[in-house]
Amino acid sequence: MHLYRQTIILFGIIVPVVITGIIVGICFMLKSNMVSSFETKMKSFKDYEISRVAGLEIEAKVTRERENVERWNTQLAQETASAVTTNLREITEHLPSKEIQQTAFERPNSNNGFGSVAAQSSSPIRIAFRGTFRTMQQAFLELESRMPRLQLQELRIDPSASQSTLLNFQVTYTAWEN
Amino acid sequence: MATFQHPASLNAFKQFSQACAILRNTTRASNPAWYQEALDLKFQLHIRQDGASVSTFYHDCAKAQWTKGPALTDELLRDPTQLEGIIAEALRLARANGAASLGVILHIADEFATTELKPELDNPAALPDLKETAVNDPGAILADSSIQADQSSWRVIPYPAAGSEVIGSTITTSRQYSALIATLREAGEKERFPIITRALSAPLVAIMGLSQVLSPTPGKPFVAILQYPWFTALAFFNEHGDLRLIRTLQHRGLRRPTNFRNALATTNASLEFIDPDLFMLRLGAQVDTTLDADLRITFSSSRVEVIEFKATEGVPSWCPEPVLASGSVSPGSSLINSHTFTILSEEKWALQNFLPTPKEVIEIFPSRSDMRLLRVLRLARVAVFAIAVLCIVYFGFGVIDLVRRPEWAFDPSQAEITKGRLAKLGTERKKADHWNNLLEDRSKAWTSMESLSRMCKENGGLLVRGYTYAARPEAAPGKAAVGFTKEWKISGYARDEALDYLNTLNTKEGICAHFSEIARITGNSSYNPNLGTRNLVINVRTQENGSFKPVPPESANSGDESSYPFTFDLVITQRFEATDPMALTVSKAP
Repeated sequence: MHLYRQTIILFGIIVPVVITGIIVGICFMLKSNMVSSFETKMKSFKDYEISRVAGLEIEAKVTRERENVERWNTQLAQETASAVTTNLREITEHLPSKEIQQTAFERPNSNNGFGSVAAQSSSPIRIAFRGTFRTMQQAFLELESRMPRLQLQELRIDPSASQSTLLNFQVTYTAWEN
Repeated sequence: MATFQHPASLNAFKQFSQACAILRNTTRASNPAWYQEALDLKFQLHIRQDGASVSTFYHDCAKAQWTKGPALTDELLRDPTQLEGIIAEALRLARANGAASLGVILHIADEFATTELKPELDNPAALPDLKETAVNDPGAILADSSIQADQSSWRVIPYPAAGSEVIGSTITTSRQYSALIATLREAGEKERFPIITRALSAPLVAIMGLSQVLSPTPGKPFVAILQYPWFTALAFFNEHGDLRLIRTLQHRGLRRPTNFRNALATTNASLEFIDPDLFMLRLGAQVDTTLDADLRITFSSSRVEVIEFKATEGVPSWCPEPVLASGSVSPGSSLINSHTFTILSEEKWALQNFLPTPKEVIEIFPSRSDMRLLRVLRLARVAVFAIAVLCIVYFGFGVIDLVRRPEWAFDPSQAEITKGRLAKLGTERKKADHWNNLLEDRSKAWTSMESLSRMCKENGGLLVRGYTYAARPEAAPGKAAVGFTKEWKISGYARDEALDYLNTLNTKEGICAHFSEIARITGNSSYNPNLGTRNLVINVRTQENGSFKPVPPESANSGDESSYPFTFDLVITQRFEATDPMALTVSKAP
């Protein structure tokens, strides 16, 4: 006679196993939900970290460039012709006047240079000089350093018919504008 | 002591709770003696009540030792409430002998009666079933329909002899000692010390032991006459030593039954026994010792012999039942080899318990296998709960580990803020990149002049008369960036010593070396010819100068065109593809 057998099996092992299974199942479910939630957060966090690091890199780069950009913006805000004129005047003041003479300053209507293919605003400038080779090179170096917006479109150098020591320079720039 | 209820009156959970309480509060799980028979236990107390006296003996099976038991009287046996001290002493003695249990065997020698089976029960093969039925439902097998099951106890005894008219009979004893048995059992429960009881019919045990002492005349039946103080039992065996009949004759206050000789003669006649051997066994301290002489006179043709059981130290010879029941008689000493004596001992027909623990009391406690199962499952539960705890701890640590990570505390809104900030920075960066591209040193006058001056060095034998540089973007509608071409055209005069240089320059290596030098000196990367997205071509054409007038070298003027024997035309074309780092961005500033 085993009057206790069923209840012993039921409450002795089946119920504890079921309860344990339920507890473990609930824990597993909670853990799974947390892991799932964590993976979502981790993905967001990873994206955030990537964005943050990228942002720091960009920020560092932008910060480095910011001074230049601000300077460029300041320069680009100036009217091209007057800026060129002003800069040339300042440059020629420090150079021997006999070795550099501005002979012409034009603003051609047609733009065949870099500005013709770019959507960015630009204007062509043509300037003629008479001067010695090295002085003119120094003047161009100074001008192009002061005004990086100038892209050389054309340069012609010919001997001067009147003075054998001087050369005729004709230079055409595309000047980027804001 | 906790009071336990029959499991049938409890619901399932209370049944389990009670089983656990029994496991916890009793020694049933740890002491197997609770589920053993009294005669199998190591330490036993034998009580023999023959009406005239109560004999008690302790038996230590391990030591094969019999000692005198406690002093009991008939009154104490019938009123067990006064037995408390005696039981305590018995338990103390059992414990002192290293026993974990006590078997109490009551030998009932003060009553012995037979009740016939129903005549229709004549199948010897059904005897095992009849044995069970006699315990559970005696009325179903007894010929006497007036029996009261709650007053007496019946046990089947087979008559194995061939030719018997009946297959057996039942031995009847009253339940007058039920209270004694119950008191002993309850004392054991109270003390958590198994006291296992068994009530035996002393004459049956004595009959079982006859084979040890009788030596009947071969080919003759014999009758065993068991003289007890209050009755005389007669066991009739055929010539093969098999039991044919058991009779009992009550003394009714006398020392012998009044009609003994007549009854013996009548039964012999009915069994067709002719001059059977008559063996007399005096199983009481003061039984009639003159009966054998009378029988020798009456049954002169029969062999009449008084038999005594072998004496065992501590147990008198007239009281052989404890020794016989405990199996202390050495095996192989049987003088009669018959089926009857074999089954009486081996199948324990003679050792049937006349006062077993009531079924409803037995059922209160889980069976031995249930107790084992309960014990094993308790360990299994501990294991299961340990696993559960480990899982919970594992999950807990996992959760803590997750929660402690920075990702868990991350607020997704921060990502949005960062995205916005990143977009703003991106715009700013694009703007910077845009202007970086537009303001790139892709075409500068001073570097072109540096290139010219290093190509046509002073006193190098070259006289430049014309120099033209032009930069032209390539039309590529719809593209984000466009390439461009830079072209240098130089013309002039050359002396003999400059031709080698021009020829060197007019090679891929020569012009690349020149451009590399310019790129290195000026720091202007547009002159770097080593990029795959750039193409550099040079073409030099030299001709004889038609106006050449030879003059001595020392008088030659470097500005005099007629002093140069050759003229040259040099064209350099540098092409930048749309994929070149210096390609022009087409779009407007963001």
